[in-house]
Amino acid sequence: MNILGQTLITRRLSSGGWSYLASNQTSVEATALSVMALSTESVATARLGIAQLLRLQRRDGAWPAFVGDTEASWTTALVLCALNATGEFGSARENAFHWLVSERGREGHWFWRWKFKTVDRNVRFDPEKYGWPWASGSASWVIPTAFSTIALKQYTVCNRLEASEKRIKLGVEMLLDRMCVAGGWNCGNSVVYGVPLRPHVEATAIALLALQDEHRSAVIDKSLDWLKRRAVSVDAITSLAWSILSLFVYQEPVEGLKNRLAILMGDGKKIQDNATLATAILALNCGEMIHPFVILR
Amino acid sequence: MKLDRRRFFGSAVGAAASAGVAAKWTRPKYSVSYQRPLSSVAVLNANVYSEKLESLILDGLRLFRLDVAGKSVLLKPNLVEDLPEPVNTNSTLIGAAARCFLHLGAARVTISEGPGHQRDTELIVQTAGLETHLVDRRIKFVDLNRDELERVPLKASYSGLHELWLPRAVLASSFIVSMPKIKTHHWAGVTLSLKNMFGIVPGTKYGWPKNLLHWSGIHESILDICATVPIHFVIADGIIAMEGNGPLQGDARQLGKIVLADDPVAADATCARLMGFDPLQVRHISEGSRFLGNLHENRITMLGEEATTPLRPFSVQPEFQYLLASGTQPVPARQRSD
Repeated sequence: MNILGQTLITRRLSSGGWSYLASNQTSVEATALSVMALSTESVATARLGIAQLLRLQRRDGAWPAFVGDTEASWTTALVLCALNATGEFGSARENAFHWLVSERGREGHWFWRWKFKTVDRNVRFDPEKYGWPWASGSASWVIPTAFSTIALKQYTVCNRLEASEKRIKLGVEMLLDRMCVAGGWNCGNSVVYGVPLRPHVEATAIALLALQDEHRSAVIDKSLDWLKRRAVSVDAITSLAWSILSLFVYQEPVEGLKNRLAILMGDGKKIQDNATLATAILALNCGEMIHPFVILR
Repeated sequence: MKLDRRRFFGSAVGAAASAGVAAKWTRPKYSVSYQRPLSSVAVLNANVYSEKLESLILDGLRLFRLDVAGKSVLLKPNLVEDLPEPVNTNSTLIGAAARCFLHLGAARVTISEGPGHQRDTELIVQTAGLETHLVDRRIKFVDLNRDELERVPLKASYSGLHELWLPRAVLASSFIVSMPKIKTHHWAGVTLSLKNMFGIVPGTKYGWPKNLLHWSGIHESILDICATVPIHFVIADGIIAMEGNGPLQGDARQLGKIVLADDPVAADATCARLMGFDPLQVRHISEGSRFLGNLHENRITMLGEEATTPLRPFSVQPEFQYLLASGTQPVPARQRSD
C-alpha cells in the first residue's frame, strides 16, 4: 500500500472515522474523503469509516458537520458522493437524496428573493437561481451547491424524476450565474459593490466538477482555462489536489501536476489535516481508480 | 368607576404583561462586563514592515506591564484571502508579536485563524508569508476552521444565536491577542479588533463565509462573540491600512501606525479616530462600550502619542459617510466599474 494511505489509516479514530486535525472529534468531511481515498487501497478500513458515517446520519437523511453537532449540514452531499461510489446503502442514500432535494439556500424563499431584487442590490446575483447553503438557514454558496449537484446527478443517473431534475437544473444555473467575470468561482457572489471578485482555485475546481456533464459552453471553457493557468503555480495541497481532480474529468493532462503534488506531499506526515491528506491521495490516484466525483452521462 | 374582580384581574394581567415587555427591552443583553475604570492605548509609529518591528513592539508591550509568564498566548490575526497587502495582517508584524510574547515569558504562542472566504487556509498562510515565522517550535499555527469544537453558551444575546461551536485552541488559551488590519468594511463600516473575532467561528460548522453570522446581524454577532471570548490585548496593524471598499477590494492607505491596547473597545475607538471616524457611529463599538471596554477618551490613558484625526479621513462607501467625525471632509470610495 502507498505510504500516504498508510499514514491516513494510522490516523483513523477508534470510532472508525477521521478528525480534521489531531483530536478525537470525527469530522464528517474528513471521514467521507478518507473513505473515498481508501476505497481501493484498504477496503476494510473504508468500511469502518462508512459504518461510522451511517451511525451519524440524522433521521431526516442529512449529516451533521462533526460528531456532537446535531444540525444538518453541507457534508450531506459529500457523504452521498462517498456512498454513491459503493453502489450500496440504498436506504441511507435515498434519505440523503430526499433531504438534498428539499434543502435550499435562504434566497429560495420568495421574501428573500424579493428583498435581493428590490432592496439589497449591492451584491450582483440572480436570486431566482438558488442552490444549497453550508448550514440551513443561510444563503446558497458555490461549494455546497457544487457538491450537492454532483451528488444528485450521480444518484439519479439512471432515474431522474421531475423534482430532482428541477433542483439539478437550478443548481447548475446558480453556478453559472455566480461565475466570476474572468472565469472561475469565488465562494459565492461574483460582483460586490460593482467590483468583480477574483476566483478561488478550490471553488473553481469543485464547481467545474459539478458542470462536467453539461454542454461545454464558452463560459465553462473560460473557467477551465483559468484553472489550468492557475494550477501550475499553486503550491497549496488542497487547491492543487482539487485542480487535478477537476482537470482530469475534463481530460486535461494532469501528470505534471500530480508529480508536483507528490513532491509536496512527501510521506504525508507533515500534512496535519486529514481532509487535505485524503484529497491529495484521491488526486494522486486519478486514472488508477474510479473517480469519486465523476458523473456518468 | 367601581373596580370589580374581573376588571381588577384584567388590569393586573395587563400590567404584568407590560412590565414583562418593558423588562425585556430594558434588560441588558449581556451577562458579563470586562470594563475597567481606565484602559491603556499606545499608538506606535512605523512606516515599513521590517525586522525593527520586533524591538518596537517589545518596547510597546513593556509599557503595559503585561503578565504573560507561563501563559498560552493566542494571536488572532486577520487572514482573509490569498491576496497581497493590505488585505491581511502583515506576517512580519505577526511574527514579531509572537517572538515578543515568548520573550516576555509566554509558554507558547499559537497563531490561529479561520479564514472567512477562502477555504484553503494553507494557500493564505503561504501567500501571507507566514510560514517563515513558524520555525520556532514554540510558535504554531492552528486552522480554526478545522479545529476540534466545543459548544459554548453565548454571554450576550444580541444575535439571538444563544450558543456557538468554538475551537478548542481558542477556549484553551489563557491570553488572547486580536491582531486586526485597520480596514474599512462594506457591511460593518470598519473591521478592527472586535470584528476580527469573526475569524474564531469555525467554517466547518458555519460555512465560508460565516453566513449565519451575517443573517443574525454583523454587529450583534460581534458583540455576542466578544462577550463570550474576551480579548485580552490588541495589536492593530495600521502601517499600511485599507480604505474604501474594504475589507477585500479597498485601497491601500499608508497610516504608519500600530495600535496597542489592553482593551478592544479602546483600541477600536482609537483606530476609528485615526481613520477620521467617530467611534460612536460604529454600532458594535458604541454598544460594546457598555460592557466590553471603554470608548470615551477620558477613560483611555494614551501611553504613546495622542490619536489625532487625520487631515484626510479614510474614504468610505457612500452609505457609511455618517461614520465621519465632525469637522472632517468626506472622501468617497474610489468608484470602479465592472
